[in-house]
Amino acid sequence: MKSNKWRHLPAALLAVVFLLPLYFMLSGSLRQAGLPPPRTPELLPSPLAWGNYERAFELVDLPRYTLNSLFVVAFAVPLTLLTASWAGFAMARLSRRPAGALVALSLIALMVPLTALLVPRFTIFKELGLINTYVPLIAPAIMGTSPFYVLLFYWSFKRIPPELFETARLEGLGPLATWWRVAMPLVRPVTVAVAVLCFVFTWGNFLDPLIYLFDQEKFTVPLGLRALSTLDRTNFPLLLAGSVAATAPVILAFIYVQRYFLQEFRGAGWLGR
Amino acid sequence: MAELRFEGVRKDYGEVRALRGFDLEVADGEFLVLVGPSGCGKSTALRTAAGLEEVTEGSIHIGDRNVTDVRPAERNVSMVFQSYALFPHLSVEENIGFGLRARGVKAGRARVKVLEAAELVGCEKLLDRKPFQLSGGERQRVALARALVREPDVHLLDEPLSNLDAQLRVYMRAELKKLHQSVGATMVYVTHDQVEALTLGDRVAVLNQGILQQLGPPDDVYRRPANRFVAGFIGSPAMNFFPGERVDGSLHAGPFVFEGRPNLPERVEVGVRPEHIQVDEGDEGAPAEVQVVEMAGNETYLHLQADKSLVLARVGADVRPEVGSTVRIRANPADAYLFDAETGETLT
Amino acid sequence: MLRDRERREYAVMLAPYLIGIAVLIAIPALVTFALALTEYDLIRSPRFVGLQNFRDLWDDEIFRTSVRNSLMFILFAVPLRLLGAVAFALLLHRKFRGVGAYRTSAYLPTVVPDVAYALLWLWIINPLYGPLNLALDAIGGPTPSWLTDPRAAQWAVIIMSLFVIGEGFIVAMATRQGIPGELYELGDVEGASPLFMFWRLTLPLMAPTLLLLMFRDTIFSFQANFVPALLVTGGGPAPYATTYLPLFIYRNGFEYLRYGYASAATLVMFGLTALIVYLQWRIVKRWRHAFVV
Repeated sequence: MKSNKWRHLPAALLAVVFLLPLYFMLSGSLRQAGLPPPRTPELLPSPLAWGNYERAFELVDLPRYTLNSLFVVAFAVPLTLLTASWAGFAMARLSRRPAGALVALSLIALMVPLTALLVPRFTIFKELGLINTYVPLIAPAIMGTSPFYVLLFYWSFKRIPPELFETARLEGLGPLATWWRVAMPLVRPVTVAVAVLCFVFTWGNFLDPLIYLFDQEKFTVPLGLRALSTLDRTNFPLLLAGSVAATAPVILAFIYVQRYFLQEFRGAGWLGR
Repeated sequence: MAELRFEGVRKDYGEVRALRGFDLEVADGEFLVLVGPSGCGKSTALRTAAGLEEVTEGSIHIGDRNVTDVRPAERNVSMVFQSYALFPHLSVEENIGFGLRARGVKAGRARVKVLEAAELVGCEKLLDRKPFQLSGGERQRVALARALVREPDVHLLDEPLSNLDAQLRVYMRAELKKLHQSVGATMVYVTHDQVEALTLGDRVAVLNQGILQQLGPPDDVYRRPANRFVAGFIGSPAMNFFPGERVDGSLHAGPFVFEGRPNLPERVEVGVRPEHIQVDEGDEGAPAEVQVVEMAGNETYLHLQADKSLVLARVGADVRPEVGSTVRIRANPADAYLFDAETGETLT
Repeated sequence: MLRDRERREYAVMLAPYLIGIAVLIAIPALVTFALALTEYDLIRSPRFVGLQNFRDLWDDEIFRTSVRNSLMFILFAVPLRLLGAVAFALLLHRKFRGVGAYRTSAYLPTVVPDVAYALLWLWIINPLYGPLNLALDAIGGPTPSWLTDPRAAQWAVIIMSLFVIGEGFIVAMATRQGIPGELYELGDVEGASPLFMFWRLTLPLMAPTLLLLMFRDTIFSFQANFVPALLVTGGGPAPYATTYLPLFIYRNGFEYLRYGYASAATLVMFGLTALIVYLQWRIVKRWRHAFVV
């Protein structure tokens, strides 16, 4: 029988190393601004300067930006779940050739780098007069935000025994009804995973807001954070406090749902079997 | 070749007791079958013998070595899995020779041995193929060849035929038996199919819920079951059971009445095998209504309702009463098995 | 054998995705091609200049530096990141006590928003006060000035990219978990050492996925360093030590308003990406034939 004892130490070490940056973010944000650094390492600075957070919220309208980000996320995530699962379902139910072509298309689309599309996308939205709105930020959700999510749904739906779908078909259910009543309930973990991934991506998206949003009051959290950094470039405790405020929502959301996400799964099929 | 011995082996998985106080000795060169329903502990026993599971208590011996704490690699055993566990990216030849190469045997010499083993099982023509190109039976042979090539002390087989279709299974059973006869290796074979157990084993070990119920040659296990469980598990169709009632000097069991036998414990259970039930349309015996007639080629199974009991009888092909008709059934007291209703032990 | 109504519904379900790909990926890609041949500042209409942009790129010292930097980054970051993802996957694929926490820890840095991540590292690598140099100093090691030394700055960006291997880790782990456990048990019984099993079983069976990961990571790494370059090192230190292609494209497009020029650079970047992926594919193909068990 495989002994897993020897895995603990390296795993723990790696975990600590990977958590260090987050720890630094937290501890750095609680330092008193302007003080010289401690000569010896300390776990948590004393005194705990919660004032940094106050000031961060004063300098930049973080609450407003948080609301803006939430607004975008509130549209993007559900829309993504809808379109990605729709596409994934259709692909899983079509016959070999068309499905294969769509999978290939998705893989190619996945390989296209986003930065390569920045300029032309901007041009298109400019011509449509949609600059300085949230439309360009939500638009990707119409196509499921990323072909990766579509493929995730595709693989999961593929793992459902086709007999279930055939039974539904015999009962008179069309594709949409089957998607809603039969398929989606069976892939809850994937749905959660995609929701979280999409949330993380949309929340932290810096590039798109950077080039599309000009009015300060429309800024999302990443832009707000960047504005903070231009206001007081060297006040690290302040910047880190802002960073923590920007990061906390996604971290918390992630930790809450990670059990669906990081469980054992065979080939991207989380069917709970 | 060597003998395999389990001494007082216990295996717990947390709260679950998979194997309890297991004592078994497999003789050198013997073909022993472990049989029982799902969860009876037969696979657990096999895996502890292989070293894939650690025993909670007890010891395992191969030959004169105590291998309880020895790693699988050093026990000199082979294992055939139900799923064959062939490496999908390797050819048949590379699969068979895997263990040899892993132990550093040179390519040339390995090839010779691989060829020998392949010829033994009849897959020498498949050496260049990959597993996905093979049929179920062919994959099975490759798995067998891989087990044979290292000439280990003990062969362990975990339900190797369960994934084959019925006809192929019968064929491979015979092949396995021939193989064992020619190679003379010690083989421990696990199955849930009692027909396989009876046809293949030199001896059969019946397990239930982690406890060894009976150990003996197939004939013993069939004709002289040690307890109610073995009696009901071995034999297909299964034995008929009736609660026994003592009325005056005779024993009433369902539709049957057996004379004599006064010295019996309070509560007994009586078992009669389907083939021992005599069915005819005369006047002697208990009346029974024919509910289902199953025609199975050269014999017929009759599902009968006799008063309060359901009886299954196995009769010749020419006995074909009408459904709904009434027949008479009788049983010879010598064919009846008596079990203590509390402990299940067979009473002589 | 699909009835009309079914066909329609499937079409409806696929439409958003396909339209989206067309509008947001395919058409922009085509527009890039077109824009690359123009001079365009978004105010006046585009002016056709043929291949002049490409000639200018060829002469542009900054562009050449960007290409060099991006290639150097790929050379180091991709193998290291892949190694990290596989190491984590092999370490954490089995269930043991606390494995969930370890897996979460491995993924957590990936979750942090780019900007926060960049600011965080700006702090960590601060030469005077940042934890990294403080720690290095405490153990008597070197304390490079990460932001002013070109080499150090490039390494800083590489190190930053090593912590965000979340997705690769998940994919590698899923692949490893997809290998039937019985094959390893069989290896045990047959006497194969763990190293033997790794070379002959684990690696070959994970190879296809790892290949895909490598391709994806290469493409991703061409752009992953945008935010760090923008916010942490600012493309510096001089001269342009950490100006990578995405930053070059962004600056020329959105800061200097030379959209045509930026598009041309985009095409070059895309071409380079395709070329490198192709080379990787060829090399691996040849290696696979030599790698006979």
